[in-house]
Amino acid sequence: MLMEQLLSIGVNHFLTISAILFSLGMFAVMTRKNAIVVLMGVELILNAANINFLTFSKYNGGMEGVMFSLFVIVLAAAEAAIALAIVINIFKTFKTVDVSSVDTMKE
Amino acid sequence: MMHSLIQLSIAVLLLPLLSFVVLIFFNRRLPRMGDFVGLGLVGSALAIALYIFWTVIVQHYDPAFRISWDFTWLDFGNVPGVGPLQVKMGIVIDNLTAIMLAMVSLISFLVHLYSTGYMDGDPKYGRFFAYLGIFTFSMIGIVLSDNLFSIYMFWELVGLSSYLLIGFYYYKDSAADAQKKAFLTNRVGDIGMWLGILILYSQFHTFGYKEIFEHIQNGDFHMSQAWLTAAGVLLFMGCVGKSAQFPLHVWLPDAMEGPTPVSALIHAATMVAAGVYFVARIFVILTPEALHAVAFIGAFTAFMAATIAITQHDIKRVLAYSTVSQLGYMVLGLGVGSYSAALFHLLTHAFFKACLFLGSGAIIHAMHHEQDMRWMGGLYKKMPWTFVTFSIATLALAGLPLTSGFLSKDAILAGALGFASVEGGGIYYLILVMGFAAAVMTAFYMGRQVWLVFFGESRTHLKPAEEHGHDAHASHGHGHDDHGHDSHGHHEVHEVSWNMRLPLVILASLSVFFVFSPDPLDGGKGWFMHLVQTPATVVSSGEGAQHHEGASLHAPEAGRLIAEAHTDTQHVNEPATHDTPVAEAAHGNEAQHGPVYADPRQAEIAHMTHENHYNAIKLSSLMLLIGISGALIVYVFRIIDPDKTAQSIRPLYLYSFNKWYWDEIYDTTVIKGSILVSKIFSWFDANIIDGIVNGVATVFRKFAFANGSFDKYVVDGLVNFTAFTVQTTGAVFRKIQTGKVQTYLVMIVVAVLGWFAFYLAQLMK
Repeated sequence: MLMEQLLSIGVNHFLTISAILFSLGMFAVMTRKNAIVVLMGVELILNAANINFLTFSKYNGGMEGVMFSLFVIVLAAAEAAIALAIVINIFKTFKTVDVSSVDTMKE
Repeated sequence: MMHSLIQLSIAVLLLPLLSFVVLIFFNRRLPRMGDFVGLGLVGSALAIALYIFWTVIVQHYDPAFRISWDFTWLDFGNVPGVGPLQVKMGIVIDNLTAIMLAMVSLISFLVHLYSTGYMDGDPKYGRFFAYLGIFTFSMIGIVLSDNLFSIYMFWELVGLSSYLLIGFYYYKDSAADAQKKAFLTNRVGDIGMWLGILILYSQFHTFGYKEIFEHIQNGDFHMSQAWLTAAGVLLFMGCVGKSAQFPLHVWLPDAMEGPTPVSALIHAATMVAAGVYFVARIFVILTPEALHAVAFIGAFTAFMAATIAITQHDIKRVLAYSTVSQLGYMVLGLGVGSYSAALFHLLTHAFFKACLFLGSGAIIHAMHHEQDMRWMGGLYKKMPWTFVTFSIATLALAGLPLTSGFLSKDAILAGALGFASVEGGGIYYLILVMGFAAAVMTAFYMGRQVWLVFFGESRTHLKPAEEHGHDAHASHGHGHDDHGHDSHGHHEVHEVSWNMRLPLVILASLSVFFVFSPDPLDGGKGWFMHLVQTPATVVSSGEGAQHHEGASLHAPEAGRLIAEAHTDTQHVNEPATHDTPVAEAAHGNEAQHGPVYADPRQAEIAHMTHENHYNAIKLSSLMLLIGISGALIVYVFRIIDPDKTAQSIRPLYLYSFNKWYWDEIYDTTVIKGSILVSKIFSWFDANIIDGIVNGVATVFRKFAFANGSFDKYVVDGLVNFTAFTVQTTGAVFRKIQTGKVQTYLVMIVVAVLGWFAFYLAQLMK
């Protein structure tokens, strides 16, 4: 019974994949010091969200999820462009892209 | 509607005030320092006053003539605790007012004229005329007033102008002291007068003479006779101060520090007579007891001042004490009930005493401010005009028949005789004795003065050098210092100019009998005694008062007495009824018997006065003879050497010369006493009052200190504690904000996970 459920591809599989992807992305964002890698983690999180959208879109039979995921892709591209620009500016200011050393906002 | 005479009298009142206002502000900008302004305005006032005199006295010639006008000056409404408070101002014109108005403005004008000569060259010449203006204004105000309130106002104004004029040479210490003395002494009397006014006001809620008299006559008041006596005596205190009666007479001789025209106008003729005039105005409410007090004070003053006048050396001081003495006569006259005689004497005295003072001023002026009679002498050849006028006035003062002074003084002495015979007691003859003794001394000291000043050889050179320098310095002062001491006495003494002679001549000619009466021996036949008659008293009679002493006046019997008096004597002071048959009868007979009085005591005094008229003539002529012959024996024939006599009765001489030591007595009692009291109060203030104040301050300081501590430790502590708490908390929480984005992210994740866990835990249940 359990095996059956595991072997027949369904919503749970997709969601599990998405959760793993999200956790990896989150882990990267929280732990990596390099700003580029942090951005990559963010991309993972966004794609995990995309998978969720598509999954529910497929199993609920609507097109909204597809549309959202397309928007998310576009936004992710824009976000990457802006984020990279920010990273370049950070590097210009602090001569580093190590996010743990950019802490002038404390206190 | 205002009577035209009232309108004219307002003009008389205000013209001198206008003179004051113009001169006090602009005298330096006007040519001749504006003396023509004073002369012109007071001259116009004189002209109007003479017109009023003519209308009232000559045309009406009616003893009951009286017009009045008043208006509400201040209305305070119903004052709590006082009742309705309304202050009215008003004017009353009766025969007395018309006569006084003419007298005051005439003497004022003559003094203005005289001052153009006497004060010539003084640096404050213009201001002198300004002061004369305000004096004339206030004096006329006193004369015209129809109520106690306004007379009190003008009374104080008169005191002020007297103060200003006595201290005209204020840079001299003696003048400054004299002006203060005059003002303060007058204040003592004025306090009493004000209290008297308040007693009457508290009963009647009005200040008007007429209203008060009517109230008393109708008996609608609730105080005992003793209060009425007290009110009368207190009002008389005002007169004691202003008219220089014992015991407040001390200021008048010192007031001679003022310029001589001022002495003539204020301290001889008009202001000092204001006290007598005031007592005459309130005469009808004086109870027999109050009148006795008045009579004794007047008689004692007349006697005492005359004894002092005998030994004084200063020409003006002799006249000053003579004035005090004559004022004593007038007060005596009022006290014994000889109302018209006293006022008659006021009028005649005003003229001859003003003449004497102006004459002495002329002498002083001619002698270059020498006032000591010991260094005069032989002036009759050099100053004939002054000599003649001065002599006429002297004879009038001494009371020689054919002069005005005889008529009036004789009337007063007749009144005193009548009074004494009615009262009967031996002590009342004392008044008479003092009056006649004063008459003797008056004749004596005036004879002495005329002889020392006008006859004999000139004694200018006899003046001791050192005293000379001192005196000259003291009596100079106002711009005459350039004479220098050594040139003194080398100046030729000459007669004064016309503007100083003319007033002398006018005043001297007003000192003879035919101005006042066709009969040189009886003033009662003259117009004055006809027009100014003793009004019927409004208080209960002497008999009633003696029998019901202390009883309230509205007791039934006294009320009945008054009611009877009212019905019988209405005509005497009620103008509306002067044409009743009774009045007609009185009208026809008054030359012989005077008016008819319902009050038995008053009627008897009037009767006895008339009876004693010829006794008085005989006695007073005898006194005059004794006095004059005494002066002749001592000074003219030198049968008795005055200096040796003075030595042989040295204690008496010194007693008189030092003015009975009144100044010293007052100095050791009243003044030292006042200083002692003020020291006690000063100590009380410094130790008790200040102690209380400091004690209160200490208590408050301690309290404030406690308050400060509370603020410092409790209130500030709370504030600081709050701040500390916030700071500590902040110190904890600031650690959370690391500035690293990842930390925040971790927190968010932890929080979200925690929320999930919580949510799941809820689901599991």
